[in-house]
Amino acid sequence: MKTQNISRNCWARLLFLAVAMVAASAYADVVVIVSAKSPITSLTAEQTAKIFLGKTDTFPHDGNALPIDQAEGSIIRDEFYSKVTNKNSAQIKAYWSKIIFTGDGQPPKLVEGDVAVRKAVANNPNSIGYIDKNNVNNSVRVILEP
Amino acid sequence: MIIKYYLVALFVLATGIVDAEASETDQPAIGIGGGGAGAANSVETDQPMFKFNGFGSLGVSHSSQSLGDYVLDRTVPKGAGRSNDWSASNDSRIAASLTANFTPKVSAILQVISDYQADGTYRPTIEWANVKYAFTPDAYIRVGRIVLPTFLDSNNRDVGYSYPWLHPPVDLYRQQSIFDSDGIDAMYRFEIGSAENSIKAIYGRDTLDFPTSVSTSKGLRGIFDTLEYGSATFHVGYQKRESSSLNLLTGVTGAWTQNTDLSVGASYDPGNWFAMSEWIQRRSTIKVDAMYFSAGYRVDKFTPYLTYSQDSPASFLPGSPAPTATAIQNAKKSQSTVSLGVRWDFMKNTDFKLQYDLVKLGDQSNGNLANVPAGVILYGTKFHVISAVVDFVF
Repeated sequence: MKTQNISRNCWARLLFLAVAMVAASAYADVVVIVSAKSPITSLTAEQTAKIFLGKTDTFPHDGNALPIDQAEGSIIRDEFYSKVTNKNSAQIKAYWSKIIFTGDGQPPKLVEGDVAVRKAVANNPNSIGYIDKNNVNNSVRVILEP
Repeated sequence: MIIKYYLVALFVLATGIVDAEASETDQPAIGIGGGGAGAANSVETDQPMFKFNGFGSLGVSHSSQSLGDYVLDRTVPKGAGRSNDWSASNDSRIAASLTANFTPKVSAILQVISDYQADGTYRPTIEWANVKYAFTPDAYIRVGRIVLPTFLDSNNRDVGYSYPWLHPPVDLYRQQSIFDSDGIDAMYRFEIGSAENSIKAIYGRDTLDFPTSVSTSKGLRGIFDTLEYGSATFHVGYQKRESSSLNLLTGVTGAWTQNTDLSVGASYDPGNWFAMSEWIQRRSTIKVDAMYFSAGYRVDKFTPYLTYSQDSPASFLPGSPAPTATAIQNAKKSQSTVSLGVRWDFMKNTDFKLQYDLVKLGDQSNGNLANVPAGVILYGTKFHVISAVVDFVF
């Protein structure tokens, strides 16, 4: 009886581990970054959302803000927008459709992949991007962990 | 017609001027499709100079009332009901849009749309064609053809992908009489505490062609304010113009009449659900009110929504000339609609929507049904409309 309980417990743990691994591969741990040369040390999710939705073009304490987006359909992008703006990819696309087709603006510049984004952000003190936490190095500074 | 050529020429000219400038930089010449590079607010990006985008909708509808046509507004000559069992005329269109970013301050847009016209064809028309000068990213002026922001979603009413409904609530949006302005507009955006306010002013003129008449508007001016605070948006708009109609059969131009459109709207959209409402009042020799309330809930890729909309019978304003019998009958037009629908974001950049409408005609009119045979009285009756659409953007 006791052995059975232990083996059941063991299976439950394995199942939990498997589920956790699947979940981990489907959800990136997104962080918002600026160049290590930037004076910005932190932003709120709301301030970050305003920059990526084109509602402002400056950081809260002045300085041009140049947002860099990741590829449409990428996990990191969906994760970023759902955490920072509470909108899914279709809602973001609908939002920009309204702006593009009324001549009011264009969405942020697109760079594909964490490494390329990190490089682009590191090279420009005005840039702001988002990548997986595991791909952060000392060329960039994490300013928000949404 | 002349204005159309003028607008195209303006665009081509502007393109030419800045082409020369662009050749000195190593910018990619053209970018195609959504999600491309180029932020409006960029300072030193390698954004493409030209961006090509487009959108479209393919929709069909069916009405249970076979004695009249269910049409969205007076520019749609026929639809489902009497003329056709199923009709694509209300919700089908395709548009192509070219944006040129010449410098961070100077840009231009040319947008051509093909949708069902008053003459019964899908003849393409120029929807947007203007050159924009941005003093800062928060202030610009535009010269050329500009789509009027008369009501909350007037600006983007053709872009089905941009809103949750199958089409903007009909009983309110049919009150819009003209759609674009050839002239100038200016926008200024500023923060009030943590709220964003944008104010827009417009000045221009417009002509709208019908098979047997041409409607001209001059001295068109308006002011529109939008305040966004967190998930809440408030909108107030006021537009004024002098209008007159030329009867092509008799050659007689009608008297110039002053028209005003007032619109007040609010929406709340925290992400998982939304609610919005709008009220408008249109005045010329008559006064008409319309309103809607709509709410929806997002469950994964599905957004079910419920909308109620209505327009009131018109009342004649004091001081206007004695109305004709036709005008008196037209003024009695009113109807209300309960709509239940769902948007399904079934694939990237594409949605499918299904909507059911229960339409109730006013007690003293055939509502806004078109092509009802003379002598047919449908006052106070109800009918059903079912519509489906696929919207896409690229």
